[in-house]
Amino acid sequence: MSNRSMITIVALLVMCSLLLVNSQYQARRLFIELERAQLRQKELETEWDQLQYEQSTLAKHSRIDGIARASLNMSVPGPGRTQYLMPGVR
Amino acid sequence: MRTPTRKAAARGLAFSASPVLAVKLPPWRSRFALFLLFSAFVAIALRAFWLQAMSTDFLQRQGASRYARTLELPAVRGKITDRHGEVMASSLPVKAIWAIPEDVAADADKLRRLAQLLDMPLPDVKKKLDSDRSFVYLKRQVDEKIAEQIVDLDIQGIHTRKEYKRFYPAGHVAAHILGFTNVEDVGQEGIERAQQNSLGGITGSRRVIKDRLGRVVEDIGYIREPQDGRDLTLSIDGKIQYIAFTELQKAVDQHHAKAGAIVVLDVKTGEVLAMANMPTYNPNVRQGLTGAQLRNRVMTDTYEPGSTMKPFTVALALEKGIVTPSTLLDTPAKLSIGPATIGDSHPHASSMSVAQIIQQSSNVGTVRMALKCEPREMWDMFASVGFGQVPRTGFPGEVAGRLRPYKTWHTIEQATMSYGHGISVSLIQVAHAYMIFARNGEMIPLSFQKLTQPPQAQRVISDRTAQQMREMMEKVVGPGGTAPLGQVRGYRVAGKTGTAHKLEGGRYVNKYVASFVGFAPISDPRIIIAVMIDEPTPGRHYGGQVAAPVFSNVAASALRAMNVPPDASVENVIMPTDMVMESM
Repeated sequence: MSNRSMITIVALLVMCSLLLVNSQYQARRLFIELERAQLRQKELETEWDQLQYEQSTLAKHSRIDGIARASLNMSVPGPGRTQYLMPGVR
Repeated sequence: MRTPTRKAAARGLAFSASPVLAVKLPPWRSRFALFLLFSAFVAIALRAFWLQAMSTDFLQRQGASRYARTLELPAVRGKITDRHGEVMASSLPVKAIWAIPEDVAADADKLRRLAQLLDMPLPDVKKKLDSDRSFVYLKRQVDEKIAEQIVDLDIQGIHTRKEYKRFYPAGHVAAHILGFTNVEDVGQEGIERAQQNSLGGITGSRRVIKDRLGRVVEDIGYIREPQDGRDLTLSIDGKIQYIAFTELQKAVDQHHAKAGAIVVLDVKTGEVLAMANMPTYNPNVRQGLTGAQLRNRVMTDTYEPGSTMKPFTVALALEKGIVTPSTLLDTPAKLSIGPATIGDSHPHASSMSVAQIIQQSSNVGTVRMALKCEPREMWDMFASVGFGQVPRTGFPGEVAGRLRPYKTWHTIEQATMSYGHGISVSLIQVAHAYMIFARNGEMIPLSFQKLTQPPQAQRVISDRTAQQMREMMEKVVGPGGTAPLGQVRGYRVAGKTGTAHKLEGGRYVNKYVASFVGFAPISDPRIIIAVMIDEPTPGRHYGGQVAAPVFSNVAASALRAMNVPPDASVENVIMPTDMVMESM
């Protein structure tokens, strides 16, 4: 084999190895990013659960009932004071 | 020119003149040295072969254990929501505080602060840390904010671990439907237990490669994928549940009753819209619970239903054509069957129509009809509406009640059973059985989960009989009936009262179970409500006095909540001055 082709092959080999190192590095970096995003997703899901729970606690019927009666002085209208709207009836 | 001779450095000797060269050594010595060198190479080669080919697995495992880690992937338990999507039970992250007692090194001050944060007495904390186990839980299910403060104390050997705690926003109101979970997030009671398999997720795990900083750099793969628990939508309507619970609580307090229960069913779909019990408990704070608080009287307790059974006897008589609603029957004040006497607790005419017998809840009249039927026919009737059968809703602890086989019935037993004694049922069974009146003679199965389409119905009695029964039962809440307090403004309702002596040690005692089962509105029934009050104050213990008002209040609010238009004028309520006391 000539000296020249030998040098070319060695150069190619070095280049390929460097590319391999680089892509391995990229893969790991992206993987960490993915990992982070997944963690964030989990966190947001938890937060969503938490918010839903808080909403349920705040919108609790006993709480609404208590506030409406006690601090807003509201009362339930009897059927005598209720106008029922039926579909198709004017 | 002379060739320079090499000289031994120190002494200036020529190399060839070195005396060492002159020594004659035996030839085996050089061979021996050669052999030693050779065998050293062989040993190295063997060792290399051994490591490379024979113990690869072990070595690779050892290697992997230095960079690969198995991560536990916790699964979240499914949420429980009501039919409108309001969260009724949700798992939120909390922390478990644990310690390696050997490693714990903290001064007294820090320990005191730790005990304070954990809300535990200091000696208890010390005792736990004194153990010779390698792992102790100090406290589980600690709020995340408190856990953070504990971490900030920076005590060696104290660690936290993420776990989940179940929260129930509705608290007392829906305690018996939902039940609760233990610290491991496993359902113990109610729906939590019934649906454990679908609510509880499956913890997964996966292998990863971590770098020196503990970051995950590569995924090797899942060993098991985690599976979050499935969310569950109940048939319960949060609003109706709240209404039912508060009305029940009011009645139990007002009548100083020992207990009470209520259940509301959707007539169209068989869904359970509400179910409440008194006494109750807060599922979020479960210290010091008593059995009485935990008991689900709707599903797991049976009682003698008393007069709420009468409509089934009468329906059978109507169905068989023995009587019509207007048939007059002789109703003497007392009726003797063998050695026993059956009577009514209020005076009435010596002959009554079938409609009046229902309206005034006459035992004598009901027995007269019952004795014209065969025991087998009565048994069939009772069994086909679900008495003596497990309701099969999947709810834990549901009971079948007691309906003895008809072959063992004596005449007196057949007679007492016709008005609800000598038979035991659960409240849900009674409510379910009233489906045949509310649904024009059909039964449908019950469900605790929201349904997308109504289930298959099964005919038990004819449309005509159901209509007639409804008309008669509407008179129960009218003037001259046993439950005028059951009337609802704006809606026509129907129902039946029940008042039964309690059995204690095989004898009837002066303690009562007052009940009322009704449905509304009559023109197109939407809900069935069954109310049971256990041991109201004697003297005011009739179903019509105690349970019917609960029915009335719940029906009024529930129908409004469901947007059901009124089917009567708002001045439909007529309160008589005196009320008919039903027979027991």
